[in-house]
Amino acid sequence: MPELRKDPILGRWIIISKERGKRPTDFIIEKDESKGGFCPLCSGNEKTTPSEVLSYAPPQHVSNTPGWNLRVVPNKYPALVIEGDLDKEGEGLYDKMNGIGAHEVIVETPNHDETFTYLPKERMKLVFTAFRDRLIDLAHDARFKYVMIFKNHGKAAGASLEHSHSQLVALPILPRMITSELEGCLAYYKYKERCIFCDIIHQERNQRSRVVCENDHYVAFVPFAPRSPFEMWVLPKHHSSSYVSLDYYLFDELTELFAECMRRLDKCIPGVPYNFVLHTAPLRSHPLEHFHWHFEIMPKLTSIAGFEWGSGFYINPIPPEEAAEFLREVQL
Amino acid sequence: MKNILLVDDEDSIHLLYREEFEEEGYKVHSAFSAEEALDKLETLAVDLVILDINMPGMNGLDALRKIKEINPALPVILSSAYQEFKQDLSSWASDEYVVKSANLDELKGAVKRHIS
Repeated sequence: MPELRKDPILGRWIIISKERGKRPTDFIIEKDESKGGFCPLCSGNEKTTPSEVLSYAPPQHVSNTPGWNLRVVPNKYPALVIEGDLDKEGEGLYDKMNGIGAHEVIVETPNHDETFTYLPKERMKLVFTAFRDRLIDLAHDARFKYVMIFKNHGKAAGASLEHSHSQLVALPILPRMITSELEGCLAYYKYKERCIFCDIIHQERNQRSRVVCENDHYVAFVPFAPRSPFEMWVLPKHHSSSYVSLDYYLFDELTELFAECMRRLDKCIPGVPYNFVLHTAPLRSHPLEHFHWHFEIMPKLTSIAGFEWGSGFYINPIPPEEAAEFLREVQL
Repeated sequence: MKNILLVDDEDSIHLLYREEFEEEGYKVHSAFSAEEALDKLETLAVDLVILDINMPGMNGLDALRKIKEINPALPVILSSAYQEFKQDLSSWASDEYVVKSANLDELKGAVKRHIS
């Protein structure tokens, strides 16, 4: 019989359709055809992108020329624009404001054929460092309240370029998803005076059935009520609400664990398209006792259709305990 | 006289753009599909391409990639009715992105910037 599970933070219901009994090999992944040709993110094509706002490169490197290890550039045709004032106004009962924001692309490697999952660890660490450095920089702009950092990999997950990249959008408002998460965490904190994520980590590490891997400072597990098969969350074991406060020495361990998660996932379902999103505290907020920064990795294996749009329920054909077992036991 | 290659599957766009741009002193060549445009670029010397995105057969973003592979220096202006293609990072290979409108001032300005 299918099982209904409730996400303890958002109150979102998930249907685990157990009887389908899927295995990783049951998912058919359409291979993205390599289109080849011109790529604006490749080393040597720096002039085709807007001027970089951050780059990690050897000393004496000249901006916007080859030789970089990672670069961050504004989106050439952004969803939101950085110049201007917010100018909030009402129109009857409706609210609107200017589309102020920042939309940037983090080019994770100069090499077209490298994928994030198999980036050398030193290069992957630069990606996590760039996330923090951009958050710190964008926090200086009082117009922005939140920076959404995410990655789309594979056409099915929304990536339009093969070249490995992630994106950030700085927003003048808090996104609904983050507001709901903050509210859910606060409600739990008011009731128990503890961070719900800290309690989840504690329970998952005791129970072990959904844990995928861990090291001294981080843990990765399949959540109790995952929206998609093989969804994973990566969290610091010690309480911390903002990714900005992440100490430099902890990036090595984060990279180590994140790479392990991605490689386990890719071994289970080779070439799987996925998204990952950083959930962190709003910009410039004081340390929050009730919130815990984390990454959510969502393989794109199921599609959202009428039932999901209408009900807000997600249907997941693999129980998280089984998904975690597959992920744990795969040979790297 | 500067040569523009206009790639769009709609007749009315060709009529409108041809009239407006020829009035400004440009020579306008027409291609009604991405495939036809790529063929024409092999034999025709053009100074700039105005490229639609949503076309039957090869779409404009794939055509853009191929054009830039053949001639990276040739300016290409993407002209689409759809703002959302701006979200597609493949559009970055273009030199400008103009949302289609009956008012051609923005497109004319973009053309001037690249080939005046």
